[in-house]
Amino acid sequence: MTESTAKRLLIVDDEMDLLVLLRKVLAKKCGCDIALAQSGAEALEKIASWHPDVVMTDIVMPDMDGLELLPKVVKLDSTISVVIMTGYGTIEMAVTALKNGAYDFLEKPFDNAKISQIILRAFERTQLLRENLQLQKELQKTDRPTEFIGQSTPLRHAIELLTRLGQSDATVLIRGESGTGKEVAARTIHKMSKRCKQKMITVNCPALPEQILESELFGYAKGAFTGADNDKDGLFLEAAGSTILLDEIADIPVSLQTKLLRVLQEKEIQPLGQTKTVKVDVRVLASTNQDLEAKIAKGEFREDLFYRLNVMTVTMPALAEMQEDIPLLALHFLNIYVQEYQREGMELSQEALQCLTRREWKGNVRELQNRINRAVLLTKDILITPVDLLSPEELAEDTSSNKAGAEVPVCVHKLPYSEAKEEVMTYFTSSYLKKALTMSDGNVSAAARNSGLGRQSFQRLMQRHHIQSQSFRKE
Amino acid sequence: MAEILALDDVQDATVLIGKILTKKGHTVHCFTEEDKALAHAKENKIDLAILDIKLEKMSGVEVLGLLKEIQPAMKAIMLTGYPTVETAREAISLGADEYCVKPIDRDELEEKVEKVLKSRGKKSAMSV
Repeated sequence: MTESTAKRLLIVDDEMDLLVLLRKVLAKKCGCDIALAQSGAEALEKIASWHPDVVMTDIVMPDMDGLELLPKVVKLDSTISVVIMTGYGTIEMAVTALKNGAYDFLEKPFDNAKISQIILRAFERTQLLRENLQLQKELQKTDRPTEFIGQSTPLRHAIELLTRLGQSDATVLIRGESGTGKEVAARTIHKMSKRCKQKMITVNCPALPEQILESELFGYAKGAFTGADNDKDGLFLEAAGSTILLDEIADIPVSLQTKLLRVLQEKEIQPLGQTKTVKVDVRVLASTNQDLEAKIAKGEFREDLFYRLNVMTVTMPALAEMQEDIPLLALHFLNIYVQEYQREGMELSQEALQCLTRREWKGNVRELQNRINRAVLLTKDILITPVDLLSPEELAEDTSSNKAGAEVPVCVHKLPYSEAKEEVMTYFTSSYLKKALTMSDGNVSAAARNSGLGRQSFQRLMQRHHIQSQSFRKE
Repeated sequence: MAEILALDDVQDATVLIGKILTKKGHTVHCFTEEDKALAHAKENKIDLAILDIKLEKMSGVEVLGLLKEIQPAMKAIMLTGYPTVETAREAISLGADEYCVKPIDRDELEEKVEKVLKSRGKKSAMSV
């Protein structure tokens, strides 16, 4: 136990006497494990095998001087704090060493109290660095848990909500048009939850006929019906400790809705042909693109189930609400398919991007994705033009509606993704601000209010994009 | 170009630094008193501070610490006629970018200033 928790110090010097002396002093004062190395090479070996927290090294050594050793240590493990000691310290040496990442610099002869103080501080620094690294790793894990692409406000709101819902255990109803990423949203919630280690079970409700759906969901006992030769665990049992997504919940038959209500209320299921009920710990997510309220009115959906499901609702924004993200999404899908089909160097022409942005996407992101997929696969040329994306009829429609069309910055697709994004964002922001200002006749406060931004942040954006409100004022 | 603060208890030294760096297109604010330099830094953005270590009331290293508290992103070059490993260590750990020994010649000063200011650009681009 003590061995694993004690701090580890490696002392490197070519003089054995000094090593032994330092070991004696520091072992007593710092209460740490100490290893010794007589050369730079030996030190590096020790670092790789023993993982010290702090390395204390002399500068002048036969094989490798301490200043050479330093970057090698940092390369092996950047969290190790290196303390350099020297008999003839020059300022320049100290400055170089410290700038290259040494934690401290000591001149011989040392004062015992001072050394131990420095070593203890170095331990503390290493520990902080390691903690920091650990935390950052965790942050990174949670930072990009979503597969959503886009910067638009509706999407950002949705993602934020999903992130928060992930931490709870509540039943969530995910609504949104077809192709807006309801399943992705469910996966996001699952991934952010404490159930993330288990696999999420997805049930596509309308895909199965009523009886089969019931036995699939709740399982059955042997002999429950002809052909039930064995007990079968249902999907709810399989999802125990995890999350179950009921996709297209609106299409579930009314008889099953009653059973489902029971699961949600009592957290227990009753397999077909069995009298006992079984407790299950399942988080239920449900998704639908239908108007549940209308279904309730028609008597096709149980109101009590609706309220059970509707504890939390997330509505995924339609692509029309996040038009600004279309170029971003298009480029994202382009990259994916270009890699998949190994068609490096393919690009979307500026006109193509424009007409994608203008278009009405009934199938939302999925439709956009499929378009790009098809275009990447079928376009012979390296440049994807509107002709490759739209059918002739659509093209005709597009040109007629295009007069007020916006222009996207030239050739963004030639840039690396992040730069392209920046470009598109800059363009978007400035045109958005200009539009907002035009509509408010140059009144910044009103424009900010209409855009749902604070006046100050609106102004900051204006400044960044060199937009002046005067030019929008009416005479 | 850059806003530079020069602090030295000898006025001529600051004037000299000012002359050299103004020619390079920078704006140099010269101070001989610590308090005034700190007061200036509280009100104005400083890109780089050039600090003498031996001052009247405080040491330049102390001033460095206080300046960094006010403007953490500020770069700093220490200049001293009495170099010690001790002050070098302390200055670097407080975030000084260079530690130079007086007398410093014109080319060296210009070069170090450019180098430090350049590193500023790089760092800020990364953190954004």
